[in-house]
Amino acid sequence: MLIKVQSAANRGLETIGVDVEVNVANRGLPGFDIVGLPDKEVQESRERVKTAILSSRIEFPQKKITVNLAPADVPKEGSAYDLPIAVGILAALTNCPIPERSLFFGELSLSGDLRHTKGALLLALFAKEKGYKSVFVPKDSANEAAIVKGVNVYPVQNLQQLLAHFAERECILPLIYEPVKEVLPDDLTEFDMKDVLGQEQAKRAMEIAAAGGHNILLVGNPGAGKTMLARALPGILPPLNEIESLEATKIHSAAGVIPPGGALLVTRQFRSPHHTASPVGLIGGGTRPHPGEISLAHRGVLFLDEFNEFPRSVLEALRQPLEDGVVMISRSQERVLYPARFMLVASANPCPCGYLNHPKKACICSVQQIKKYQKRISGPLLDRIDLHIDVPPVDVRELSENQKASEFLEPSKVIKERVMFARKVQQTRFAEDSIQVNAEMKNSHIKKYCPMKKEVEQILQQAAIKFQLSARSYLKMIKVARTIADLEKAPEIEVQHIAEALQYRAKAYEGV
Amino acid sequence: MGFHTIQENEYPKLLKEIGKDAPKQLYYKGVWDEAIFQNCLAVVGSRHMTIYGKQVVERIVSEVAAAGVTIVSGFMYGVDAEAHKTALSVGGRTIAVMPCGIDLIHPEHQQDLYMEILKNKGLVVSEYEGSTQPALWIYPRRNRIVAGLSRAALIIEAGEKSGSLITANLAKKFKRKVFVVPGPITSENSKGIMQLIKEGAEAINSADDILSIFGGRTSPKIKGEVRPRDIVEIKIIDQLRREALSIDIMSRNLGMPVAKMGTILSMMQLRGQIKQEGNKYYVN
Repeated sequence: MLIKVQSAANRGLETIGVDVEVNVANRGLPGFDIVGLPDKEVQESRERVKTAILSSRIEFPQKKITVNLAPADVPKEGSAYDLPIAVGILAALTNCPIPERSLFFGELSLSGDLRHTKGALLLALFAKEKGYKSVFVPKDSANEAAIVKGVNVYPVQNLQQLLAHFAERECILPLIYEPVKEVLPDDLTEFDMKDVLGQEQAKRAMEIAAAGGHNILLVGNPGAGKTMLARALPGILPPLNEIESLEATKIHSAAGVIPPGGALLVTRQFRSPHHTASPVGLIGGGTRPHPGEISLAHRGVLFLDEFNEFPRSVLEALRQPLEDGVVMISRSQERVLYPARFMLVASANPCPCGYLNHPKKACICSVQQIKKYQKRISGPLLDRIDLHIDVPPVDVRELSENQKASEFLEPSKVIKERVMFARKVQQTRFAEDSIQVNAEMKNSHIKKYCPMKKEVEQILQQAAIKFQLSARSYLKMIKVARTIADLEKAPEIEVQHIAEALQYRAKAYEGV
Repeated sequence: MGFHTIQENEYPKLLKEIGKDAPKQLYYKGVWDEAIFQNCLAVVGSRHMTIYGKQVVERIVSEVAAAGVTIVSGFMYGVDAEAHKTALSVGGRTIAVMPCGIDLIHPEHQQDLYMEILKNKGLVVSEYEGSTQPALWIYPRRNRIVAGLSRAALIIEAGEKSGSLITANLAKKFKRKVFVVPGPITSENSKGIMQLIKEGAEAINSADDILSIFGGRTSPKIKGEVRPRDIVEIKIIDQLRREALSIDIMSRNLGMPVAKMGTILSMMQLRGQIKQEGNKYYVN
């Protein structure tokens, strides 16, 4: 008896339909085979399905069972085929009807329960696109799938429940999406900008970076507060908008990092991989291309602490995604495109010992050592960082007693409001373009949106000569000035905006 | 390249005076003329020059070199290299004494400076021929040539065990005048200087003190100073005259948001009123 159950396979962020054909034959030696390019995980599904069916108090037939996953030439991976295979066998045994135009998706446990499976959101999106009526997914993954409106998402707890549903003894009700309040990890919420003493300019630079989505490099002595500043950044970032949120959630669903019962991401991601990260870990890849840190940080922040401790090969691999906002991972078997539009926050010491220009401690590095150290970050990479900022060490004791210093302390909430305003301005500006923030502007956008008066341009040209700005730096200054103007609600870039932007030009690592 | 032995007339007289310590021969690159050895001042100091050290070199060496005094130094990075650079920047002449064979450049990364020295009628000398490698024992021997060529030595920033102290002591031994520029006593780079002051070196704060022994007078400097435009700029300049400050501290002192302070500082920098070094600003 031949049964056909429909499921889907995720390849990167794309989904293709897969027909799971199950044949339970009365003739031939008893056995259980899966064909159609299954990989190890899919092969193992035989044992899971068999035991799960037995655990559900249904006898597993001593017959020849053949499962075909069609199309047969596409490699199948993952544990999501457990459910459609089990459904196919059960249907063959019990003769119960399988609901039409439905997709089945999920991993079985030996007890017959369904486990949280990655990619449920992508499945639901595919179902909607192709006009399927309903999807059956594990209960833990159902909320994630229910984000998609217009498809019935049935949360399945175990096989018995599903059988009861088929027999219309006890119906499973389609799940209605419930937004989940995200809980940020403690180390992200523990810092407020007002807790960072001193560092007024660095904080201002963070505000500009957050407002315009600019990449930023923090250079300073150990203990000056670079990491603290970076960790306080999520507190001033605006929440994801609808489009961004779906983009980011899709990647997380594909990577399987959405927790059971998880929902749409609403806060921007803050990812801080350690500097021993491999190129594949950071960029994405593997034989079956997996999203890397840069894609998981999509529309969020990628924080690279100890920037020049990262292997050069890893850093250089960042160049293209920084420019294009996507990363194309090509392997012999397949090619996958992952979005990777992230804000890079990098922190570095000025020299190997860390104490160059320290007011109290002497630096013990030779000029050559310092040069070599700073050279680890290539010019082209530095060129892609809009804001360069010094984070000098501060005397905490003196600052906490300084009246004037405490007057300047602004809580993250206040800064966030300004940032959100500037983002709104940008959204209106780029309504017809495919970009979201000033940092993404290409030359044509700059020409269109950053007209400058003659005197303003003169100042910029003067600065270009004085500070030896490269052509790319010149454009960077305009982009940063645009964001500063947006923060001040100014329609046009004025002299003071350019002048402030010049503060954030490359200094410490210049001439490298 | 060429060389002169101690027997020849071209050999610098002052260097000959140091007696049996004098090198038997001097290899050189550049144009050898006797005028360059007439008025020499050795300028040496720490490899780990601070911003203060740089300011001092710029302030004092530029005037001395502009008055026609040849600046002699050891071509090491830090104060030495800065002294060579400053001399060249005011059109002065300078002699670099190498701690290695005449065909080598040490430290190698200062090749640009090396070329600048040769291009601007400067001289590179060494007592070693060919490509003798630099070695620890050569540095003090190089220092005796630096001290020997000069009528006086100026030490700017020196740590406790600095090689500059060797140069200073040699200068003293050769009966040459030793000048030092005092630094903040909290700095590691002042320890050697303090020691020299205690031993009788003359502490100076202007180029005039040095120029008096060369019999020269400094011409009154005509500096194209840009006048401050308003009260804020006056305040900023006042503060920076006292000490170099970072933008954060200045904005705190003047009670001004850092964004606005940044705007003002950028404009003042563009007009050439102030300069930025490391993360601090100072008056030009």
